[in-house]
Order: sequence, then structure tokens, then C-alpha cells
Amino acid sequence: MDDLILKKIVKFITPCIQLFGIYVIMYGHITPGGGFSGGTIIAASLILQHITFGKNNVHFIFRKEMALKLIGFSLILYSTIKGYSFFGSQFHLPHPPIGVPGNLFSGGFILPLNILIGVTVSSTFYVIFTLFSNE
Amino acid sequence: MKNLICIIITVLIIGVLLVGVSELPEFGNPNNPEHNALSKGYIENAMKDTGAKNIVSAVILDYRALDTFIEATVLFSGAIAVMTVLKERDK
Repeated sequence: MDDLILKKIVKFITPCIQLFGIYVIMYGHITPGGGFSGGTIIAASLILQHITFGKNNVHFIFRKEMALKLIGFSLILYSTIKGYSFFGSQFHLPHPPIGVPGNLFSGGFILPLNILIGVTVSSTFYVIFTLFSNE
Repeated sequence: MKNLICIIITVLIIGVLLVGVSELPEFGNPNNPEHNALSKGYIENAMKDTGAKNIVSAVILDYRALDTFIEATVLFSGAIAVMTVLKERDK
């Protein structure tokens, strides 16, 4: 779209939306939120950027071919981490410390799993949007 | 004739489902099977077990993490299905 006001406002507002999405993902184990809602917020900012500036201005890591690799990688990593957690709790393997509840780096495996879910959800939603938009 | 068979099958399925629904326990009864020790145990032990203050995160990413994994896989396969249907024809 070729509109000066829209471009200026989107340029200003996109980092704020993305920062808020990252916050929702990172603090998913302390405050309400998590990978699904944070990933949706980030996907919304990417879609806004796509509509306003065209698809060539979205970062290459979210293009279709890269995004599939990204989603597959994060799903495989998720299954590896969670499988290790399941078997590790059974066979008393070492696991990350639980920490003080309320700190950012606490809760063992919950924070990395939240990040992986956020990556998966944001890439998936953006890829589905790019498939339906005919530009 | 085909329509008649369809109507009969539909009415039968609706009847079976309604019989099943009528056997459900009363809403809000404290002796219902969903008020067992499990929910109380989650509320009391979630923070101690997982270290997460948000009990929803503790359930979906620690106790029931496999369910979340399959949910993400469903999203992935949905994207694959849309990609297959809406594939750009090669020029």
C-alpha cells in the first residue's frame, strides 16, 4: 500500500508489537500468556508489515522455505527436550534447576518450550497468511 | 429412497447421542467425577513441582506437554495441507 501516514505509523508500531510478543512469550510461566498467544502477536506484526511494505521487506527467516525449516526444527527440538524431560524424571537424569518461582529464569524446561512453541505458531500463521495473499 | 435412509440414520444417531447426554451427571454437583483429587493436587503442587507461577503454563508445558506437542504438530500439518492445496502452479 502506498500511503505515507500508514507507513510511518507501521514503522513506529511494529517494534512495539514485536517486543510485546517477545515479552508475552518470555514471561509465559510467570504471567498469563505463553507461546501460543505471544506467537500470534508476533505473527500479527509480521502480517502488518507484509501488508504495508510488501513481502520483500519481511525478514528472510519468515519466508516460506525458511519458515518450514524453522517450524520443523523447533518441533524436533521440542520433542527432544520434552522426551528427555519425561525419561529423565523417570531415570533421575540431571535436569535444570527449578529456581525461585517468579524469576525469569526459573521453571526448568518451561521457558525454552514456550519459546519453541512461539516460533512455531508465529511462523505457521505468517506462512498461512502468505499463502492466502495473492501478491 | 436414499434420502429416507439418510434421515433414518441421522435420527438414530441423534437419539443415541441424546441418550448419552441424558446420562451425564448433574451440573455443579460436588460429588461429580470431575471434582476428584487431581485438580486439587494441581492447584496445591504446581508451583512446587515445576517452579512456574502461572498454573496454566505449568499444566500445558509440564504435566501435559505431550498434548501441546501434538497441538503444535496439528498447526504444522494444517500449514502443510494449505500449502498443498494452494500451491502456485509452475510457470
